[in-house]
Amino acid sequence: MLEIRHLTKVYGDGTVALEDVNFSVPDGEFLVIIGLSGSGKSTLLRCINRLINPTEGEILWNGVDLAKLEGADLRHARRKIGMVFQHFNLVRRSTVYTNVMTGRLGYTPTMSSVFHRFSKADQQKAWASLDRLGIRDQAHKLARELSGGQQQRVGVSRALMQDPEMILADEPVASLDPVLAHSILEYLEKINREDNITVLCSLHYLDLVQRYSTSVLGLRAGHVVYQGTKKDIQRMSDEEFKDIYGEEAVRVGGGLEGSLTERGEE
Amino acid sequence: MRKQKEKDPRIQMAEDIKPGFVPPFVAAIASAIIPGLGQFLSRSFRKGLVLLFSFATILGLLVWRFKLAAPRDNAWKDIIPKAFHLQPLMIWVTVLVGLLYLWIIVDAYFSAKKLGGAVTGVTFYLLVVFFAIGWQIGGIDLVALTTQAGDAVPALSRVLWPWERAITYPKTLLIGKGEVLSPCTDEVFPETTPLEDHPYIVVAPTCGKTSEQSGDEGTTLTLNGFGFAPDTETEIWWKDPIGNEFRQRQGGEYVKVFTDGNGQFVVDVIMPYRLLPPSAGDGPKIWEVQGRQIASVGAGELSSEFKLVIEKMVETIFIGMMATFFGIILALPISFLAARNLMSMSPLTIAIYYLVRTFMNIIRSIEPLIWAIIAVIVVGLGPFAGILALTVHSMAALGKLYSESIESIDPGPIEAVQATGANWLQVVMYAVVPQVIPPFVSFTIYRWDINIRMSTIIGFVGGGGIGFLLAQWIRLLDYAAAGIAVWFIAITVAILDYVSAEIRQRFV
Repeated sequence: MLEIRHLTKVYGDGTVALEDVNFSVPDGEFLVIIGLSGSGKSTLLRCINRLINPTEGEILWNGVDLAKLEGADLRHARRKIGMVFQHFNLVRRSTVYTNVMTGRLGYTPTMSSVFHRFSKADQQKAWASLDRLGIRDQAHKLARELSGGQQQRVGVSRALMQDPEMILADEPVASLDPVLAHSILEYLEKINREDNITVLCSLHYLDLVQRYSTSVLGLRAGHVVYQGTKKDIQRMSDEEFKDIYGEEAVRVGGGLEGSLTERGEE
Repeated sequence: MRKQKEKDPRIQMAEDIKPGFVPPFVAAIASAIIPGLGQFLSRSFRKGLVLLFSFATILGLLVWRFKLAAPRDNAWKDIIPKAFHLQPLMIWVTVLVGLLYLWIIVDAYFSAKKLGGAVTGVTFYLLVVFFAIGWQIGGIDLVALTTQAGDAVPALSRVLWPWERAITYPKTLLIGKGEVLSPCTDEVFPETTPLEDHPYIVVAPTCGKTSEQSGDEGTTLTLNGFGFAPDTETEIWWKDPIGNEFRQRQGGEYVKVFTDGNGQFVVDVIMPYRLLPPSAGDGPKIWEVQGRQIASVGAGELSSEFKLVIEKMVETIFIGMMATFFGIILALPISFLAARNLMSMSPLTIAIYYLVRTFMNIIRSIEPLIWAIIAVIVVGLGPFAGILALTVHSMAALGKLYSESIESIDPGPIEAVQATGANWLQVVMYAVVPQVIPPFVSFTIYRWDINIRMSTIIGFVGGGGIGFLLAQWIRLLDYAAAGIAVWFIAITVAILDYVSAEIRQRFV
């Protein structure tokens, strides 16, 4: 159970990214966060695993306030929270295998990891994870040699290596084409269902939201403006969607996806 | 839409412009009293300040140059003519400064008259005056440069083609002898017997009289040399009856003769004057006449200078290599502490970041040559001092380059590895190190290049290597030997340039 209470983030330059955000996510949920760029989706996800330190508020996860953790405690909490990024954030000059292995760093003693020595169990885990994402044969290639979809699979398998109880996915398919987007989200859905891992995922495409989410959170300018269940989102109309995305959003029809894009900010 | 409602900014500016505080001619007079004041009163504040400070600086420089040109005089009425006389360029500089003064006054007048300040090019003219003063201070003398350029030719030609100095032929002293009896007796003194494989001199006549102190000339002897080295300069020496050797002089000059192609020569000499001690006794004595040659024997071999250059060149390369090596070892840990993106976690780490940065900047701002002088004091003359100096400088320079390449890496992977619960060292090893290897390799090779070039001159201050030889030979005016060193430096640097470019291409 993840519970966010009064979460506020003000950046050093005075930008208010989040203001008094409250919501809770039961275990095993596939929560999709929607909202314009700059509405605070990334900040919210990064506050949960403390890549960004929140200014105020509580992030209660299984009864522990993540916002108050420091040092080793924070690292131990992070081990259980996997993260998938829009731009994959792989180490491009390292092999796929090494990239996947970094998921185990939190569990590996510093000295062994410096010399790239991982336990047998971890190595087997890595192969299993690569197998599960269907990229076993790419293991010894450099990450930069892979296509976008394959790179994101490496990103997902890195997150899986952590034995996570929760996965934060920050626009995981925004850099991919629609077909690949489905395949990545299907993996996340599978992980969510089979392993009962909570997934918090930010998305832009309405039909992807309708297809994969079990609940939805809408953000606008740092405030929660919409909260709904799967049923709510199925019934969601363009008007409601527009309400979340603001006046400048339009629905691009006729494609494989119904998608929302922002108009240029002129 | 909104933009159109706003007024055109240019129009607004024109409305904002207020007239100057004073009428134009008052501004001109103000600038005549204090250059720049008139512009100030015409609301051209920045221009006024620039002109005021520039003119004050120029005036100060001018006074200094005048006093320097005529250091013995105190009164300005003496100083100025003397300075103009000794350094005619001062006249031009003074005229230009005077023009600047007038120009500032004119500019003040127009600035006050015209709204928004006048464009009279006075700031550009300011630069011209500074340039003229710089020309005078720099002692730039194009006449000397063109007329005396020829003076460099002898030295330069020896530097450019020093290879005669690279080979030496071993030389031996070759002496051929003949004997003369003095004074003559009734008995006939025998002629020199011809020798095989050894030079000898046949003297005719075989006896004679030595020259006297009174001025009476002695007997003229015809010396026939045989078996000498061909085409070689030969000096005539004497060995008197008590065994002292001395050179034959004739007309104030030493007697020298060249052998012909067969190793023979003919020369007439007058028996020299020589005061013999009474202990030598009276009576006829045997004098020995000698032909001496410095003749080369055998094949040429590499000169000692050439060998020394090679020896020191190797030393130089290793000085550069060791300094780079130590520099890398020291720079690596420092660079991670000097990378902002890795050190922005807490106030303590930020303090360390600034401390390391400052430390590196100070070290880097001191040239390796100065470090070498300090190192020589500590460890004495020799290669170790050079290695120390270059190490210190490389550490700071590489530390900066390394830390900057760490700062410019993609932050995404760092974020991702942090998110897995990895600690600082793990983040560095897995997210930072793989990204910085290519720039590190590139910068390191670049530094190696610089270090080898630096190590060639670090010897000038006693830091070992080829520079020490080079400095010494230049001071001894042995330009040919210096030329060998220069050639080797050039060849080595060219090769290293090529090699380092190749390596960098492979890695990056």
